[in-house]
Amino acid sequence: MLKKIAIEKISQLAAVLMEKGTLLAPVKEVSGHNFAEIKDPKQVDLDFYNTIMSPKGAFFPHKEDFVKYKIGKPLSEVEPAVLNLKPAFLFGVRPCDVKSFEIMDIHFDAAGIIDPYWRFRREATTIFGYAYDLSQPVDSADFYNTLGIYAADPEGSDIFMVKKDKELLLKAITKKGENLLPELTVLKDGITADEKYFTEYVNKGKEYKTRFMTLDQEVVAKKLEDIFDNTDFWTKMSAACLSCGICTFVCPTCYCFDICDDTLFGKGTRRRVWDACMFTDFTLEASGHNPRTQVYQRLRQKICHKYSYHIRKYGVISCVGCGRCTRHCPVNIDIYSIVEAALKA
Amino acid sequence: MSNNNPYIPMPVQISKIINEVDTNDIKTFRFTFLNKEDEQNFKYMPGQFAELSIYGKGESPIGIASSPTQPGYVEFTVQRAGAIVPGLVTSALHDMDEGAQIGIRGPLGNSWPIEFLEKKNIVVVGGGFAFTTLRSLINYMLHKDNRSRFGEITVIYGARTPGLLLYKDELALWEKRDDIKSIITVDKGDEAWKGRQGFVPAVCKEVAPSPKNTVAVICGPPIMIKFTLPVFFDLGFSKENILTSLEMRMKCGIGKCGRCNVGYKYVCNDGPVFSLAELEELPRDF
Amino acid sequence: MTDFKKIEENLKTESRRLLKEGLVTVVLAYGKGFDENHPMPYAAKTIADVDSIVFNEYCNYNMARYLVRYPQGTKIAIAVKAADSRAVIQLIQEEKVKRENLVILGIPVQGMKNPKTGEVIDSKTTCGMYNPVLYDILLGEEVHGVKSASPYDVLAEYEKMDKDARWEFWKGQLDKCIRCYACRKACPMCYCDPCFIDQSKPKWADKEPQSPGNMMYHLTRFHHLAGRCIDCGECSRACPVDIPLYLFHKKVAKECEEMFNQAAGMSIEDKPVLVDFRVEDSDKILE
Repeated sequence: MLKKIAIEKISQLAAVLMEKGTLLAPVKEVSGHNFAEIKDPKQVDLDFYNTIMSPKGAFFPHKEDFVKYKIGKPLSEVEPAVLNLKPAFLFGVRPCDVKSFEIMDIHFDAAGIIDPYWRFRREATTIFGYAYDLSQPVDSADFYNTLGIYAADPEGSDIFMVKKDKELLLKAITKKGENLLPELTVLKDGITADEKYFTEYVNKGKEYKTRFMTLDQEVVAKKLEDIFDNTDFWTKMSAACLSCGICTFVCPTCYCFDICDDTLFGKGTRRRVWDACMFTDFTLEASGHNPRTQVYQRLRQKICHKYSYHIRKYGVISCVGCGRCTRHCPVNIDIYSIVEAALKA
Repeated sequence: MSNNNPYIPMPVQISKIINEVDTNDIKTFRFTFLNKEDEQNFKYMPGQFAELSIYGKGESPIGIASSPTQPGYVEFTVQRAGAIVPGLVTSALHDMDEGAQIGIRGPLGNSWPIEFLEKKNIVVVGGGFAFTTLRSLINYMLHKDNRSRFGEITVIYGARTPGLLLYKDELALWEKRDDIKSIITVDKGDEAWKGRQGFVPAVCKEVAPSPKNTVAVICGPPIMIKFTLPVFFDLGFSKENILTSLEMRMKCGIGKCGRCNVGYKYVCNDGPVFSLAELEELPRDF
Repeated sequence: MTDFKKIEENLKTESRRLLKEGLVTVVLAYGKGFDENHPMPYAAKTIADVDSIVFNEYCNYNMARYLVRYPQGTKIAIAVKAADSRAVIQLIQEEKVKRENLVILGIPVQGMKNPKTGEVIDSKTTCGMYNPVLYDILLGEEVHGVKSASPYDVLAEYEKMDKDARWEFWKGQLDKCIRCYACRKACPMCYCDPCFIDQSKPKWADKEPQSPGNMMYHLTRFHHLAGRCIDCGECSRACPVDIPLYLFHKKVAKECEEMFNQAAGMSIEDKPVLVDFRVEDSDKILE
């Protein structure tokens, strides 16, 4: 089923979605676009290349409350956080980011103990994927082709959107999408020409080229294992690295977190917050021993985790080539170049 | 886990506190569950650990020191941290009295591989504070329902001084038994000490356990491990037959927060028990 | 007009010579990134490494931040622009590096650009100086005759705000902070290990990205840099959410300069402002 709406009327669609639940969509901020909970339908802005922060925050927020407690009171009186029951709509997600959810699903939802927060939010959310604009030049940092993702892949979205001149075409991809689309009465029905355009667009997306190198999972996983002890290589790769946390925080497939108890005047909340393996004290043990005191060790951990350990543990590379880490790194470190250099090392 | 939410701890109460060492900074805490259901769900095996949770302070992953053959309670031997890193949880725990409540999440991690150990001779080597989950294993094996499943059991356990030996009462009981060979040593004795004196690696060399159908289970501070492993290699033990338990900084304890990995394995989930053969395949990142 | 290509040539020539003669073991400069407009901080250790050195209008990095990574005693050549040279001086004042272990390659330049906006960088977001204050070798022609406003002129609007308005302003700005700590890591003066924010006893602030933790972190950091910030603007450029950190740093620097008659990083003979006591120091802070 295909529907459409004029892009200038997008706030009407936003208003309808807001009535149905929580709408998370891109809004324009000082430094770029970011997904935010929409309070005013006019905030939604689809005129962007990609957001600064990835949309993983819809399922894995920067902070997630677990329990509210009071010091001195028995444990039976703590209040576990109750998750919001409203349906959620994640609107305007690029294909590489949609793919990132599938990768994170394996970690949070399918391996061993299930993370209830991720699963709950994932089930409550309908994803509106959004194809890249093929008429705009590709950003030099992107390399999602290398990970087998194309600019207009509808896979993983519940509803996939494609820009056609001044209109937005919306097609249901999953059952969830099929159930939702008819309820959005502000949308018009698509015509045969729209169907044709949509199909052609998806195909044309395959020709929209990002940086590409042949990446065989087994080869890269093994190569990184082999050069783990090559200190010279890793020192050279990490010479510029500040060891801040930007790459981790913008990355759609990074999932490290910390669990903190924040207390004030006897009342507090236990919550989890994003953490980064790039931080100096990430692996600092109570004995004082820290296996990763040097920047090169932490950068090595990041690259090896994404391109080797994750493959061994879960069978997929923990990266979708969205380019955010490279785009937002304050010293322009480029993960694509590091992987390339590693394969040649 | 309570409410099917693996991040929310179950309430337990301190039923007994035993001061283990003369420096007063290592205590064994015996906990009982407040909810019968939680107790029934807490089925653990020697080698596993749990996160001890104190709201307002945080959580601490501690190896389980009791054996599942001791029903009705679960014990943890906890050292008060604070020399270098503040040790918020362990300090708070040490300041608590019997009757106090804390939270517990577990059992977590893998266990000493009991099936792998069956029908074999076991040499248990422990140093200092790392003896806790080894004690769990030994008590499990010594239990009348289990003893016949294992061959000869040899224990080599050392501490810096006699006052720092853990579980002194149990050590004395083991020395009296004839189904376990118990060799206790200290680095430096005092006037009262009548037993052996010597570092654990040297004692292992002296005892020279045979590698034939034997598995060595070794836990201790890095310096002890460094000098003990070559002794066992020289004796002919293969890497599959040497087991150890790793420690890393942990937070979630369930393989989600990404902190405790060594290579592709999470120490909280795929470990903490590893054979040396397994460790050899992993990068030296610990 | 600054001749970037000439400076790059001279930088390479000098680096090769210094490494060849064994006068230094590492040259801290700038290198190729994944494309033209994205150079990187670079450490050249061999003559072959020098081939990858570049210098263009996007080479804003303050290489002084990497000095503390090397063991004391390492002979280092470092490429510095005006503010960067001040950072080196400040680090010498604070005894983190010794003057005799450094070969300072001064780069006089006007026309550096902000890669995010393409705008020319000037005294609005940096110290506004064009010529290095301290150097062993000058890699280009000194910049003269280019008008430069005072680095504190940009504070005019800010200073019109009263106390409450300023609090609201910073609260609004700092609520954007995602606690990535890029500002801290980009700063050459933030070399404390552990940083106060990483300590859990006492726990100065919570970890989650919102106030009051955000305010605590930034306000404390601003004050830790009083009299030490040399106004290179790197913190603000590193920030992924574009918080104008330079405003607060400039304000504090201005007050420090007024009170104590000394700007950060101007002379290796100076002692750090808040460490040194002089009888003539202003009593204004006691009012």
